[in-house]
Amino acid sequence: MELVFQLLITTLQISAVYILFSLGLTLIFGVMQIVNFAHGHYFAISALVVVYLMPWLVEAGFPASAAYILSGLIGIAAAVLVGLATYQFGFRHFQRDMVGSFILSVGFVLLFDGLFLESFGGASRSVPSIVEGTVSVFGAAITGQRLLLCFAAILTAFALYLVLMKSKLGSALRAVSIDQEAAMLQGVPYNKIAFSGFLLAAGLAGIAGALIAPVSIVTPAIGADYIVKGFIAVIIGGLGSIPGAVIGALFVAFVEAFGGYYYGASTATLAIFFLVIAFLLFKPKGLFGNG
Amino acid sequence: MKNLTNNKMQLLSNLTFSCLLTLGVAAGAVADESSKPIKVGLSVPMSGAAALWGQGADWMCKKASEEIRDSGGVVVDGTTYNYECITYDNKYNAAEGAKVARALLQREGVEFIGGSLGTAPVRALQSLSERMGVLIFTTAWGDQIKGPDYPLTFTQMNTPHEILEPLISYVSEAHPEAESVAILNPNDATGQQTEAVSTKAWGKVGLEVVSSDFYERGTTEYQPIALRLARHDPDVIDLGATPPAEAGAIFKELDVIGWDGVKLVEVGTGADGLTAIGGDSVEGVYMGAAVAFNGPSVTDHQKRVNEEAREDLGESLNTVQIGFYDSLFALKAAMEKSQSIEPKKVAEALPSVTFQSFYGNTARFGGEETYGSPQQMMLPVIVTRIEQGELVELGRINPTE
Repeated sequence: MELVFQLLITTLQISAVYILFSLGLTLIFGVMQIVNFAHGHYFAISALVVVYLMPWLVEAGFPASAAYILSGLIGIAAAVLVGLATYQFGFRHFQRDMVGSFILSVGFVLLFDGLFLESFGGASRSVPSIVEGTVSVFGAAITGQRLLLCFAAILTAFALYLVLMKSKLGSALRAVSIDQEAAMLQGVPYNKIAFSGFLLAAGLAGIAGALIAPVSIVTPAIGADYIVKGFIAVIIGGLGSIPGAVIGALFVAFVEAFGGYYYGASTATLAIFFLVIAFLLFKPKGLFGNG
Repeated sequence: MKNLTNNKMQLLSNLTFSCLLTLGVAAGAVADESSKPIKVGLSVPMSGAAALWGQGADWMCKKASEEIRDSGGVVVDGTTYNYECITYDNKYNAAEGAKVARALLQREGVEFIGGSLGTAPVRALQSLSERMGVLIFTTAWGDQIKGPDYPLTFTQMNTPHEILEPLISYVSEAHPEAESVAILNPNDATGQQTEAVSTKAWGKVGLEVVSSDFYERGTTEYQPIALRLARHDPDVIDLGATPPAEAGAIFKELDVIGWDGVKLVEVGTGADGLTAIGGDSVEGVYMGAAVAFNGPSVTDHQKRVNEEAREDLGESLNTVQIGFYDSLFALKAAMEKSQSIEPKKVAEALPSVTFQSFYGNTARFGGEETYGSPQQMMLPVIVTRIEQGELVELGRINPTE
């Protein structure tokens, strides 16, 4: 029983990052009907800023927690800036163009791969955990830092849900994702909403990157490592669906945790890909999607 | 009158220019004669997760070529040559490796590959290089990579065959109470090769292999891997060919779930990534392919070069990267012995030369018993361990051949 709890805790830990990552992906698709492979680089720039800036701030005399919060905020700002640049100089010209945006995003991926490597180098980095220690939940171990990550993922998903359901921006985002023309006829300024949605998604990726920095291996390639799982979660959950992104992330994490333990990591990875192929064949819109 | 003067001035100016041009060409020709370049190609990952290895390889190749140039170059038949490193990104996969092979061999006309990283791209390179008569050095570990069927392929660093038995013997003697081992490797040619050799080596020293698993490179979450490794409560966990940073992440997760035992990263190449990610959980980790630059046996040259590399790359040098330095000195020795820059003649001379390795010893080629022909650079196996956060050299096991 203890083993099952440990695996469930592992599932929750893993899904926390995937949830944060895939929320932004699905939001971009929902609003702009585009697939953005460069999303991983918004995540990466935030994590890279944290691992470079935090040690420098600590050396300058800041307490670790303050250094982490400050570097995290700057990391998120960097992610939003990069998102802004890619939108202004690229994606806004390819709205609702899946093929064009796909090619554009691959181009951005290659550009950012080179830029990040030149700027940050290839060495692996991490930062110390802000919350030390390990907590036991029904005999299952989870670090304090990972627990924080789980809470942050739940809070962020809930906050996004509130924004989408209760705010004017959220209503507009939902309207354009359902029917762009009808929304525009109702007076929804599509370009402005698409811009806001894109920046919100980049911000979500930035939050994910800042939170993952203390618990992961941060290199310029970190975005590429997560983007595949993020897309799988979004495809399973349904492109454009927030609850779908959460369920998809949980599903991927479940297969990774239980499959990885009982059958080995390589088998679990294969299983995830087989599952996504099955979804694409038999339920291409995913569990909750409208894509 | 004025026109005549102008015409004379124009003529004088043209003549002066022509003389200067001729002198310049002649000077260039003379310069070419005094030092000719030999292109040395590198097929290494310059992007992605293994980019640091590739960047370091490129750096060391250039370092070696600079040192060779400063010491008078390579003298063959009265002509002095200097090496020019040309690096292409193979992205650590076969498809890009094939493109890089064509670019280096067909477009650049390279006849010597100073180093190639990654078994998959190396195999793609070999399919062209042996046919085209190009001599290649490689860090790839596959048994089938070299031998009598591949007379132009040489390995530039220790492989599992050279590292694992001496290292595992050392560790089992240091921990005689250990009875069981769990093994993990990346799921690619490198990992599979390492696993095959390590399973036998552990068996030879009497430990039971309770599990042997593979994982995909680029894995983001290591908790399930750690849980599976620890499920039989092994005395030793051997992470094989796992890269240092990923090994650090796995040991960190093992620490969270309470496993404590003998830790080994057989072909771990460096402590920086391991300690940066693993923190206190990597205390006591043994490695067989890392180099400690703080011990009493380290030379000033090694320290100086390592410091320069750390400034540029952000990490200390490792055995993978050092191979790209040694290969150029090996080439120099073979070219000067054979008095030829023809790849086949140089390849014939390589097994009989000795050269000054970066490790401070005089190195040569061997491995005929294992591979069928002496195409393996024979280098010391350096046993290191993380002690109080620092990489410490415990001993060097010199090649027996």
